[in-house]
Amino acid sequence: MNIGIASYKGSKVIQLSGDIDMYSSPELRTELMGLIKKRISPLYVDFKEVSYIDSSGIATFVEGLKIMKTYDGRLRLFCIPQGIMEIFRFSKLDRVFEIYGSIDDAINS
Amino acid sequence: MKDFATIAIPSHPKYLSIVRSVTGKIAQIYEITETLTEDMKLAVDEACANVIKHAYQGDRTKKIVLKYKITKKSFNVIIEDSGIKAKTDLIKGRDLDDIRPGGLGIHFIKRVFDVFHFDETKKKGNRLILIKYMNIKK
Repeated sequence: MNIGIASYKGSKVIQLSGDIDMYSSPELRTELMGLIKKRISPLYVDFKEVSYIDSSGIATFVEGLKIMKTYDGRLRLFCIPQGIMEIFRFSKLDRVFEIYGSIDDAINS
Repeated sequence: MKDFATIAIPSHPKYLSIVRSVTGKIAQIYEITETLTEDMKLAVDEACANVIKHAYQGDRTKKIVLKYKITKKSFNVIIEDSGIKAKTDLIKGRDLDDIRPGGLGIHFIKRVFDVFHFDETKKKGNRLILIKYMNIKK
């Protein structure tokens, strides 16, 4: 997994690529919690290049979202590939996360 | 037809990608659909992650053995460790409506495999048997 932090139209975007699993999710958690600690909101996460996610990766986002909700922060995910979207749906997390088709949709919502 | 393949990996999370690759390649050989293959990769990955977390309690120096057995009517994965015995009566995922971190792995395994069974005859460690009933072409 690779993590990049980019700016798009003044917003912070976490760009992920590769596999998010038990091995890589601690690194993701460190990055995510670092941004959450700064109370950056909305925070955008680009899933376009993510090839795999397991329960530890999902748990990282659930944890982040729960913390952000304590200060009315917004965590917005976008460009989630179909296979990964299925996992979100199965876990009923598509009802919990704000999910968008593109970064512009996420920013303009 | 009864084909076997066995791999052994260290109980380190960095080897989970190997587990996914091998599971995917074996499924590919037997012309299992891409969707089901992806689901099986996730399920076997989660089962091995549970071994690392629970049976070995994070110890990355132990061994996990995976045995793949393919018959005309089923895809079987047997996962063995030498760690702490699983408390089978306590193994259950969280309620999917109870949104919190964790507790999803077991759901990802059971949504794919028809059988999720610990072989209680194994004296030391665990032997988890996963079976997906299906018609195998090759």
